[in-house]
Amino acid sequence: MGRILRPLISGGPYRALAFYVGELVLGIVAFVLLVVGWVLTLVFCITPLVVPLLIGLRIGVGLLAQAEAALVRGLLGVSVHPPVSSPAVGFWNRGLAVLRDPAFWKQQAHLLAAAPIALIPITVTYWALELVALPVWHRWADSTDVIGFIDVDSVSESLPFAAAGLVLLVVIAHLLGPYTAFSRRLGHRLLSGEPGRVLSPEERRARRLQALTIDALISTAIVIALVVIWALTSTRYFWPVWPLLALTLVVGIPGWVALVLERREISRLTLGSKAIAIQIGISAILAGFLVAVWAITTSGYFWPIWPILALVFVAVAHGAIVYARREHQIERLEESRAAAVDVQESELLRIERDLHDGAQARLVALGMSIGMAEEKLRTDPEGAQLLLAEARTDARQALEELRDLARGIRPPILTDRGLEAAIGALVTRAPLRVSLTVELEERPPAGVETAAYFVVAEALANAIKHSGATRVAISIRKIDDDLVAQVTDDGRGGADASGGGLAGLDQRVRALDGTLRVASPPGGPTTVRADLPCA
Amino acid sequence: MRVVIAEDLALLRDGLSRLLRDNGFEVVAAVEDGKALQRVIATEKPDVAIVDIRLPPTFRDEGVRAALEARRRTPETAILVVSQYVEQTYATELLADGRGGVGYLLKDRIMDVTEFVDAVRRVAEGGTALDPEVVAQLFSRRRDGPLERLTPRELEVLGLMAEGRSNAGIAQALVLTVGAVEKHVASILGKLDLPPSESDHRRVLAVLTYLQEDPER
Repeated sequence: MGRILRPLISGGPYRALAFYVGELVLGIVAFVLLVVGWVLTLVFCITPLVVPLLIGLRIGVGLLAQAEAALVRGLLGVSVHPPVSSPAVGFWNRGLAVLRDPAFWKQQAHLLAAAPIALIPITVTYWALELVALPVWHRWADSTDVIGFIDVDSVSESLPFAAAGLVLLVVIAHLLGPYTAFSRRLGHRLLSGEPGRVLSPEERRARRLQALTIDALISTAIVIALVVIWALTSTRYFWPVWPLLALTLVVGIPGWVALVLERREISRLTLGSKAIAIQIGISAILAGFLVAVWAITTSGYFWPIWPILALVFVAVAHGAIVYARREHQIERLEESRAAAVDVQESELLRIERDLHDGAQARLVALGMSIGMAEEKLRTDPEGAQLLLAEARTDARQALEELRDLARGIRPPILTDRGLEAAIGALVTRAPLRVSLTVELEERPPAGVETAAYFVVAEALANAIKHSGATRVAISIRKIDDDLVAQVTDDGRGGADASGGGLAGLDQRVRALDGTLRVASPPGGPTTVRADLPCA
Repeated sequence: MRVVIAEDLALLRDGLSRLLRDNGFEVVAAVEDGKALQRVIATEKPDVAIVDIRLPPTFRDEGVRAALEARRRTPETAILVVSQYVEQTYATELLADGRGGVGYLLKDRIMDVTEFVDAVRRVAEGGTALDPEVVAQLFSRRRDGPLERLTPRELEVLGLMAEGRSNAGIAQALVLTVGAVEKHVASILGKLDLPPSESDHRRVLAVLTYLQEDPER
């Protein structure tokens, strides 16, 4: 008996019900959002408005998914954290990035599934509670209920139903366990933060071509089928012209996109921008479509002129934007080149000075000591010995200075073994807990390697010296064509990005056309992140 | 004692050969790259090979790789790696098999002829010779562990032990009696919870293993 009733006194079923009620509410909100969002997106899909719409939709879906994840964490006890996708660079790319983000689709799937899944336990529980409440209902209200085929119109008649309701509640309490296990798995699969595998450019290309082939095959099949049906039914009016026209859009637009992506020379004609080439092509296809519709229907007033003008206007505006951005990019490249020259120049200056004041001076002293020792060798052997000992000290110090200098230019182990080993060596020397993840398939260019090394070294040194941190996490990854080096500590924050070491790093990173970001709110944590282009 | 040298710079190769010959070693071969080194170790089976880290063709860590490979194939040949820089990573790799008969020194140390010759002999006889800089690197990462409990003198003794010196060598370096050194050593081993050992070499290896352990674990 105790075992049967145990679920009723444990918190599990109540938490589960609370979870499903929350899910139901979120599911309904999500449904409305998705319907409105996608309708708007589809309506505006040939205008630039589609990008802010997609981003808005992404944010909405993201927030709802966060709320769902909070429910899963709080009430089902599974640690689920929806991934935060890194924003893409460039206007159209941002929209594309939303569509390419697997987390976006998974989260939508979960949001759509939420309401139906939640509805089942809620409805059943509602029924059971209704049955249990029957006697109470009949005590005060003098009415008849129909449960199934049976009329219930008195307290005594309702008692068995109340008992059945109680049994049903116990059964529900038992079934909620496995049911929430299913929800847990679903939440873990669809909401958790394991980022989907990033496809390589070759894989993306293969998929694109495959999709296009399937598209073309299906369209051809539909056309043939329609024409055959038309021929068999032998109506005079060639009605398949309409689905045919629609299919030219369906095949033509993806076909053009694929063509532009395959053939570089096409985008070379349009400011070198693939996006413009794609847009012009799609505009032309749409214009052709509209003209064809006009020709088939009225052939009277040439109404397609207005949408065509609009398309031309949009294309020109897009071209202007791309052109302006290109100019800006050139400006930035010039700046970063100037910064690179500056960095190099000041580094060379420093090295020259170090050599001059350090090793060179020591070697001069060494030479003098040896010369004097040579003279004293016969007359004063003991004095000669002293001088030789001095010479040896000078030689050793010169070596030490040269070694430090070389290490500052590029640590030897970085040359020998690459980033992972070099940073690994830093980490083993660090007197606090450091976790290091390096995900690189090949060695990046030497300049990038050195910059990444010094970013990590400096950030780690700062964490050790100033932050009071106990843990540091270092990650070095390849994201698209960038090497991203990130150092996070759990210290007190408040690092000054414009001061000393960090400013030097910023210059070093910018010289490679990269970006250095430092986030260090008072109270921590401090994150230093460098994005270094490898191409 | 028979020695092989692997060093790509003729200036250093010849200088080192002369220095060793003057001190009673027999330099059986002086080669320029890792492949040649492995070959002469296999054929000549010298007592010790003195190897530069950076060797042709890549001038990266060929020397360490060749030395490790030679050590695997010809365990009886001791290896002394010399370099313009020290990396604890390489020291760890060289010491990984826990057998002794390895050394890792900065080229600067060659200038101190007596000590260098002493280190070559020690390594050839199955001992170790670690550069004080490597030892300092090892110390720095265990700053807040049981090393804190050692007195400054004991830390000095431990450092010299880690470099691979015998009790007599430590006594000489610190101007102490051998008896005093022995007392310090016993106290250090006690504080670090290491077993006392009769042989100098084995004791050194225990100390090095201790220093290389991950302090987090």
